Amino acid sequence: MEAGTIARPIPHQEAAAHVRKPRTGILKWLLTTDHKLIGVMYIWLSFFFFCVAGIFAMVMRAQLSAPGLHLVHPEVYNQIMSLHGTFMVFFFTIPIMAGIANYVVPIQIGARDMAFPRVNAVSFWMLVPAGTFMLVSLFLKGGSAAAGWTSYPPLTDRQFSPGAGMDLWILGLHIAGASSILGAINFVVTILNLRSPGMSLMKMPMFCWNVIITQTIVLFATPVLAGALTMLLTDRLFGTGFFHPPAGGDPVLYQHLFWFYSHPAVYIMVLPGMGMVSQILPAFSGKHLFGYKGMVLATAGIGIIGFMVWGHHMFATGIDYRLRQFFSFASMVIAVPTGIKIWSWLATIWGGSLRFKTPMLFALGFIALFIIGGITGVWLALVPFDVQVHDTYFVVAHLHYVLFGGSLMSIMAGIYYWFPKISGKLYNEFWGKVHFWLTFIGMNLTFMPMHMMGMLGMPRRIYTYRPEFAIWNHIASAGAAVLLVGMTIFVLNMLLSLWRGKPSPKDPWDHSDETRTLEWTVTSPPPPENFHVIPVIR
Amino acid sequence: MTTRHRWAPFLALGLIFAAQALWASPAGAWLINPVTPVAHEVRTLFWKAFGITMFFFLLAEGILFVAVIKFRARPGRVAAKWHENLRLELVWTAIPALAMVILSGPAFSTMKYMETIPKSDVQIEIVGHQWFWEYRYPKYGVVYANEPLVIPVGKTVAANVTSIDVVHSWFVPDFGIKMDANPGRINHIWFQAEKLGKYEGQCAELCGVLHAQMFINVNVVTPEEFERWIEQKKKGA
Repeated sequence: MEAGTIARPIPHQEAAAHVRKPRTGILKWLLTTDHKLIGVMYIWLSFFFFCVAGIFAMVMRAQLSAPGLHLVHPEVYNQIMSLHGTFMVFFFTIPIMAGIANYVVPIQIGARDMAFPRVNAVSFWMLVPAGTFMLVSLFLKGGSAAAGWTSYPPLTDRQFSPGAGMDLWILGLHIAGASSILGAINFVVTILNLRSPGMSLMKMPMFCWNVIITQTIVLFATPVLAGALTMLLTDRLFGTGFFHPPAGGDPVLYQHLFWFYSHPAVYIMVLPGMGMVSQILPAFSGKHLFGYKGMVLATAGIGIIGFMVWGHHMFATGIDYRLRQFFSFASMVIAVPTGIKIWSWLATIWGGSLRFKTPMLFALGFIALFIIGGITGVWLALVPFDVQVHDTYFVVAHLHYVLFGGSLMSIMAGIYYWFPKISGKLYNEFWGKVHFWLTFIGMNLTFMPMHMMGMLGMPRRIYTYRPEFAIWNHIASAGAAVLLVGMTIFVLNMLLSLWRGKPSPKDPWDHSDETRTLEWTVTSPPPPENFHVIPVIR
Repeated sequence: MTTRHRWAPFLALGLIFAAQALWASPAGAWLINPVTPVAHEVRTLFWKAFGITMFFFLLAEGILFVAVIKFRARPGRVAAKWHENLRLELVWTAIPALAMVILSGPAFSTMKYMETIPKSDVQIEIVGHQWFWEYRYPKYGVVYANEPLVIPVGKTVAANVTSIDVVHSWFVPDFGIKMDANPGRINHIWFQAEKLGKYEGQCAELCGVLHAQMFINVNVVTPEEFERWIEQKKKGA
């Protein structure tokens, strides 16, 4: 946190400030290895997929706005439902956080770039074909993958999903996974080795801690997903039968492997956001982050326990009783470090002098909503209750309070917070606040009723439903419309601000000395290679 | 009255109204009609979990609310400097941990209760197909599909659940039961319907295009009616 800088030239680094002639035009973007440009491209690309997946969500809410509608064919519904999840997880939430981290982390630790700039470019560019494969598969004969973002076999075997869409889905995810792994190596090496003189690990900004822990999770979890996908692919192409009972395989094995990755993936999606919130709350409270050491330990604790809870996605599959007991208890225990973070944020703002700028509103909204997702998470850890609501809309509600209320709110907080730094322009504060309130209200309107639907017994992933669930679906669809208005305002506000916004000073937020991190000590946007002189931390 | 206390009664009133609304809403009357011993246990467990976690929920959201009102930046307001308090941190680690241990008690005992299949009066087999359910009564040699499951009221029914194609899930909300039907595996469930009537459910695991149409109907009838029905079915087969 201590970011007091003493400008002291370090002789051999001075030369690095002017190495190559800057490229211009499209080549500047295509050939760049600059972490800032790559970060910006990550953000644009993920935002594109966010819009696509968001449109899918709107189509789904339109189809579900009343029982018995036929706006889309059931097959198409299953496809867009599957791609909504896949895009939101693998092509929006994970990469946009990687994008923001790409931009911010090297500056926050006082480095000139990532440790492996070319690898950085490779991991970004891999995402482009990966996402394209999935998007294009929608227009193929047979359509895209339609078995949910989880793609459980045997539904995803050749026999039940004969189209090429499923193969493209696997291929796309393979490439996205490889991109994640490369990125993870890069982040871990960068944070461990490129910190500026005097910045010990325990002096790093909290965001960097969250990123290094997240990327460590990526490094350990993603190869397991790659294994599961490879087995699924060879089952489809060569009939290997890993998940095919007559060949001695077992579909439940896939579920274990998939969730071994995909539960930690929840933390991959939410920990960087928690890091952003841990920067933003102090910034707008004028107060130090409360309990820095406790926060680091809690984040590491979440990272470790996060690997021991995957079985709670499988309480209804008939896995062993003792195994369910273990996963149940571990899933309850993970609430404790999560709670530590929430209490510490509350202690951070307590006694501060709070300025309600848009990033602060989103960060506070994050806390308010994430608490709800955390509480329903504890309920879902209880096996009998989980069995009751598993695979119903209750789980959809829970996961959206975590991933919308948690990840998306924090991403929005981060985007508003760093927008002036990245673009060099100030955004319109009034429309930012309108966006916040529409999102906060629309979010609750959309997802709170889903708790009720699930408790009443409405399964998820259905294109139409029995009339008794109608009232809650009307409300949810109305909420989705509010969200759409809010997001439209966001897009317009950002585009207009990029075009005509006032130039941003170095530190548009007037950080207090305790809360100012290094990115606020350089110009907006920062110069190539970030620092003329590498800062030394006291 | 200082500004500090003026909003307190409103906050308290708001919380009371919120609690009442929650109690009266379908969340309060959730599982509107639990008709098996397991479903009753599940509902009791839910309310225990609700009570324990609501304490933390109200505390956290309350602190957030109060902080937002109380610590607004205004001229002359200076942010505090403290940012550590080991005792506080130990408290907010230990108390939630303790709450989780306490909550695991009823959770595990309810799970044990669900898990232990008692001596059964009727044995059935449930087989998932794309996109319908097949029911078998091996003792009576009755097999049929696409029609409601018929069971006698008050009798313990044990069921083996499996699938012949993809993963399905047999889910009847009022029974508190959901069990995946996995190809190549047999899962075991039991239930004892306490009330006569017709109960609805549907497949809960995405199983293809018509997943949304894979309904489950259960008719709970008197034992005499059940005998008559079985005899009819035997003749019909």
